[in-house]
Amino acid sequence: MKIYISGLYCGGNPQPGVGIARSLREGYPEATLIGVEYSNRVSGIHWQGLDDLWIQRPWNELDLESYAGKVRRVLDEGGLWISGSDLEAMWLASLFPGGHAGLLAPPPDALKRIAKPAVPAHAGLPVRIPTYVATDLPDWDLHAFCRANDWRVWLKGPYYDAARTPTWDSFVAARNALTKVWSTERLFLQAHVSGYEESVMLCAYRGELLGCVSMRKRDITPEGKTWAGDVSPVDPAFEAPLRRIVRELNWTGGGELEMVRDPGGQLWLLEVNPRFPAWVHGATIGGYNLPALLVQGASGARAVKAEARAAEFTRVVLEVPVRDDYPLPPLPEPFAGAVGHSMKHPSGLTSLAQRLHKSNPELLEIVGEPAGPAAGGKPAVPDTFIADIAAYDLETVQTPRFLYLESTASGLFKRAAERSRRLGTDEVQVVSGYSIKTNPDERLIRLALENGFYAECISLLEAQKALQIGFRPDQVILNGPAKWWPEGLMPKERLHAVFCDSVADLDRCVAMAAGDLASRHVGIRLRTPNVVSRFGIPLDSPQTFSKLVEAVGRLPDEAAFGVHFHMASSNIGVAQWWHLFESMLKWCRSIERLTGRTIEILDMGGGWFPDDWHAEDESRFSRAVETVKALLPAVRQIVSEPGKAMAQPSMALAMRILEIQEHEEDHVEAVVDGSIAELPMYAFQPHRILRQCGETGALQPLGRGKTHLMGRLCMEHDIVASNVALPEGTRAGDVLIFCDAGGYDRSMSYVFGRG
Amino acid sequence: MYLAEADKEIGAVAQDKAAAKPRPSDRWQDFPYSILSHHGRACCEVAREWVLAMDFAQLNGADRLSGPRWLRQKYEWGPSPWPMHWCEAVTRKTIDCGAHAALAHAAFGARGLTAYPTQLVQVYSEDATEQWRGKWARDDVSCHWLDGAHIYHEATALLVGDDEVKIWDASAGSWIPPRQAGGYGSLAAIRIFAPESSGGGDGLRWGERRLKPNLWNQI
Ligand SMILES: [Zn+2]
Repeated sequence: MKIYISGLYCGGNPQPGVGIARSLREGYPEATLIGVEYSNRVSGIHWQGLDDLWIQRPWNELDLESYAGKVRRVLDEGGLWISGSDLEAMWLASLFPGGHAGLLAPPPDALKRIAKPAVPAHAGLPVRIPTYVATDLPDWDLHAFCRANDWRVWLKGPYYDAARTPTWDSFVAARNALTKVWSTERLFLQAHVSGYEESVMLCAYRGELLGCVSMRKRDITPEGKTWAGDVSPVDPAFEAPLRRIVRELNWTGGGELEMVRDPGGQLWLLEVNPRFPAWVHGATIGGYNLPALLVQGASGARAVKAEARAAEFTRVVLEVPVRDDYPLPPLPEPFAGAVGHSMKHPSGLTSLAQRLHKSNPELLEIVGEPAGPAAGGKPAVPDTFIADIAAYDLETVQTPRFLYLESTASGLFKRAAERSRRLGTDEVQVVSGYSIKTNPDERLIRLALENGFYAECISLLEAQKALQIGFRPDQVILNGPAKWWPEGLMPKERLHAVFCDSVADLDRCVAMAAGDLASRHVGIRLRTPNVVSRFGIPLDSPQTFSKLVEAVGRLPDEAAFGVHFHMASSNIGVAQWWHLFESMLKWCRSIERLTGRTIEILDMGGGWFPDDWHAEDESRFSRAVETVKALLPAVRQIVSEPGKAMAQPSMALAMRILEIQEHEEDHVEAVVDGSIAELPMYAFQPHRILRQCGETGALQPLGRGKTHLMGRLCMEHDIVASNVALPEGTRAGDVLIFCDAGGYDRSMSYVFGRG
Repeated sequence: MYLAEADKEIGAVAQDKAAAKPRPSDRWQDFPYSILSHHGRACCEVAREWVLAMDFAQLNGADRLSGPRWLRQKYEWGPSPWPMHWCEAVTRKTIDCGAHAALAHAAFGARGLTAYPTQLVQVYSEDATEQWRGKWARDDVSCHWLDGAHIYHEATALLVGDDEVKIWDASAGSWIPPRQAGGYGSLAAIRIFAPESSGGGDGLRWGERRLKPNLWNQI
């Protein structure tokens, strides 16, 4: 009996070939085991347990047609083939769509039904699929997905490779890298599931499940791959549907279901591999020799019965002699001036992926992705944006220039004010705060005033500006570490609230309260203990907490007490923000208990992404008000401060294209007269971009493409947008409008490169 | 409560049982699980409020059933003198398994979960216990928890279903696997302080096992 085994890579993220060979040697001591590889750099070819080797040129060189003929011949001659590589298994499936008696790999239809990330075949198993999106959605929607999942997301390639992308710039960088490696934009973003990883390995022949086993990872490599594990029988509640699915898929060969079990015990299916896992021999040690069962099922020849030696296995590192006939190839030269040898994928698997995509483009379809207006990578732009921008004569507008979107801005403030009114109750008033630093434009401050907002100020200059525009002192809230700056601008009248940023600040307030500071509320800002922040009084040790408790005791009784906490929801994610909210209420309750002071004002918010704030289900906010009432019954006023959610949509930045340069493979570099000096948030969030059509004047959103928009500054990183598509007919002189630029883009923009 | 009196009790119990076939848990037959004392003043109240509020903050939105690993990250495992008050426990750099288990128990409870104090006997080696004996002696702390190759240890059983528990080893920062096959670091006996009626009188389910509450269950 001749058995061909591929996938012999033995690095930190190994393939299963060597494990399959070791297991088959135990099941069939007399069999001839032939290792198949596509690189002589793969160390597994030197495993002594292989009787022979069949080394092919790497996939990027290989003539697939002649190689297919050779594979067919060895199978026709009675050889068995167990593939240890997903891509090779896919290629073999396409070669033998109806199967072959000797090919122990799944058929093409089965492969489609296990495609990541939806894995349509999973129906019936007691598992769930972590939420995901395909990355050809507009950047605007991808950013929303990341926020919705607290930035605990993975960007995954079509077959292998995954990168954690905890920030927007890391996502953009990882997308560029993975797109390059796999020559496709068909990647997907998937929510992380925290828990313990476990797998089920199976083997089947023509739809009959021959064996299966569970494995829990007990030690992992830095990449998260199995280093040690324990094996046990598969839970019957899992095995029954698995048996049915294997039959439906007419599965042949090995397979693995990779899962995570969350703390509540729920299993989440990450992927199904069309081959044995690399830990296959660990299960053989535990008495489950699945490769031997597979060969027995396919050949009818009885395998030596597997004996369990241990229920747990681990890996060690072994040195083995190199075969005389396959001496080690030299190590490639490091790129001049670079670090490392850069030699991933020695067998050219990525090239096989490209070739497979050309012949079978449907392989890259991401099943189950939402269709809709977002398809094509063009973001949805609100009608009010379009109407407000259309009111400008863009022909004559001096660029770069911020465009104030009047009806958009007034609509935002009005809706926020109405919501606050609806959320308020007889006992608890809900008001909005406008954070002046997010955009100190007079028009916005005036809107805040007209809509009953309070003015949230971080300096006396901001407070004075609010007063000049018409806020009364008792509508001003002061907070932040430098709220007394600059000296001499302190309003004489009573303020609404002052929140102390440190114990030293609190003691200063205590002293000032005896003199020229008058405030209806004097409270403290709490530093978030679980999310890094430089603001507020820390809670990070019992000692600091104790100091806080003592300090609150020194606050004057004349002023009502309050607590303030802010954290950017767009950075930590929406769900985590709500958890933080609840956590902060618990700290507040502890502070009430320990100090005997009751909290009468609660000021909370910060850094909400406009879509999250304005679209969040109102019942979520009313539940929050209820929670406050339940935990802190003395609270009379909640100041909700949405941060940039008010300002960001209120302005757009118009810029002109100065020059368009076309490069190879449709890559375009367009220079614009805007820059990151006007869009300092470019690394933190995408902007929806419109182009005014030169002929019709219509405003068209830009979709995804291969154009980079380079800012006017002579700065290497002045790229205001990447991977966008300029509509047909775009020329130098055309105006582009970057929406969503009214928050920190506007307020933190700086003068640069203007002489 | 690692008191000198308890040490005397232990010796007496061990002698009484000498006639029967000795079990690893015999030495700790009547040994109580650890409880943090409270001064009844602000010092301990601040400490307790801090632990519970911090535990909720450190969940970061994760499942309430997640183990409070942050406690182990903040407090090293090692010798600590008893009796111990809340205000002392939280300001030490190092606390022993009894204090770790007591903090975890309080944290789970504050999350609205049901947790039970749990005692364990584990197997290590004479080499290991000799090292620990030296370390504890240098800190002038009782070594009542060491006995040949066996050690007394404390953990927290967390109720995760009607009658199912998971065992959180707070000083290791991990859940103890119910499947045990002996050997270094394995479990020899377990006692969970839970209502007698747990599991309808059959005891608490832990993996494939049923554990009778308030008794040493030999593994
Ligand atoms: Zn105390």
